[in-house]
Amino acid sequence: MAYELPIPTQGTHTRPFWEGTKAGKLMLPRCEDCNRTHWYPRYICPHCQSMNLGWMEASGEGFIHTYAVQHLVFGKWAKEAPYVTAYIDLKEGDRMLTVLRGVDPLSPEDIKIGAPVRVEFEVASEDTHIPFWRVVEV
Amino acid sequence: MPGQLYKSAAIVGAAEANNIGFLDEPVTALQLHIEAIKNVCDQTGIPINRIEGVFSTGWSPELCEHLGITPKYIDTTAVGGSSFELHVHHAMAAIHAGIIDVALITHGENGHSARKIGGRGPSNYGMGGGGVTAPGTEMTMAYGLGGAPSNYAHTMVRHMHRYGTTSEDYAHIAKVSRDWATLNPRAAMYSKEKHPFGGPITVEQVQDSRLIAWPLTILHCCMVADHGGAVLVTSPKVAASLNTKPVWIAGAGESMAHWNMLEMDDFTATSAATSAQTAYSMAGMGPADMEMALVYDSFTITAAITAEMLGLAKRGEGHLLWKDGRAAPGGSFPINTNGGGLSFNHSGMYGMPLLIEAYRQLSGTAEDGVNGDKGKQTSARTCVVNGTGGTLSTTGTLVLVADDD
Repeated sequence: MAYELPIPTQGTHTRPFWEGTKAGKLMLPRCEDCNRTHWYPRYICPHCQSMNLGWMEASGEGFIHTYAVQHLVFGKWAKEAPYVTAYIDLKEGDRMLTVLRGVDPLSPEDIKIGAPVRVEFEVASEDTHIPFWRVVEV
Repeated sequence: MPGQLYKSAAIVGAAEANNIGFLDEPVTALQLHIEAIKNVCDQTGIPINRIEGVFSTGWSPELCEHLGITPKYIDTTAVGGSSFELHVHHAMAAIHAGIIDVALITHGENGHSARKIGGRGPSNYGMGGGGVTAPGTEMTMAYGLGGAPSNYAHTMVRHMHRYGTTSEDYAHIAKVSRDWATLNPRAAMYSKEKHPFGGPITVEQVQDSRLIAWPLTILHCCMVADHGGAVLVTSPKVAASLNTKPVWIAGAGESMAHWNMLEMDDFTATSAATSAQTAYSMAGMGPADMEMALVYDSFTITAAITAEMLGLAKRGEGHLLWKDGRAAPGGSFPINTNGGGLSFNHSGMYGMPLLIEAYRQLSGTAEDGVNGDKGKQTSARTCVVNGTGGTLSTTGTLVLVADDD
């Protein structure tokens, strides 16, 4: 079935990230000088302002930092409402946004901040596999 | 010990467009600007052609051409709803430097009318300058976020988690803001006659209203209406020559933490802690010296967090100002006396109504109510004003004080 939700427009410097997703890997930009990762991908390291940037494979594990349940939605996501959005703290320390999987949007109080999550990839198009995060069954 | 710029400029007048709110007859943003500018110049007696500096969120060149003036100083700072507090800071610096004596800060936004006739104009808030090609956008656009509520809801959940608060705690902010609006005939939610959803509301009604982005119901969210406003900021010398009362800028500060919420380090804090520190320091004053506050209330949670950042409450206790009634009409520390973005007016960017209400309160010209009703004028002589722009991103803080007479 065709993917009908918004597909990101790929940038000029994020090719390694999108190539990674096609191989089932979550790639993070990392500064070759200060060794720290960052997110979203920059042209310059936001920690030490070096432009000597590379990529590393992340663990694909993280935790829920905070979340919300989207009820009033316009555009392509409207037919999916209600759904849970969440900011994820990666084990590596950076933070990503996701539509959270494996949770019940009608029982928001049952979702636990700090709960472990794992990344998975959805094939949106031949070029774009989109990372989503799912709560890990304990 | 106040800083160098302390009282180096004053707000000498503040006015709105002829009609604001949910206007039946659609208006353009430009019209809202021009009406407000004309009104503030009439109020102060400063002719439009005496304006030397023009500060707006991207509109300045078009406005100068439209008004037929040639300014000496042009500023188009557009960092979201806080822009207007930054404009005051910038105008003060330009006046202090001796470049100009008369600055116009102006706002026009047809958030409501735009649904009929289009055209928000070059206000430039929301996405960064990179638009769809910005990497921050690239890495968030897949995930079903839309308008401001969809993002801000995450901050309320984090605040609840960290401090054990509930969404009902914040609902008191919406209720109290509405109480203020019922004293203000210009507030969009002044009465049921003015708007079907206007008039007093209860905490229960806030909680039971339509769910937008859990835990935010619609009454936790500001409105999107039409608003135009303008203030004039001048040197002390010009201020002394006018018939209007000056409201002195004792302190001003600005800052930002992130632009994209992805980079928001602490979801329960904003850069207002920094901008307020700058402003308080310039004023030689602190939170305990403030007698009222006007804070951007895009959402109830925005107001609660901001009160904490300004030092008006401990972390996690901002909502208590409203819940305890201190912020309410008749309370010991009035906040958002016009009804706020929640119940007065919010056109997309709310920084200008903050300035106008601050001027009215501290110059003693706040509206007096109608038909014998008690009005919203308070006895406050000092006020801290804080604008918040973007997604809790940019902040501008002002410490304003009434004239000594």
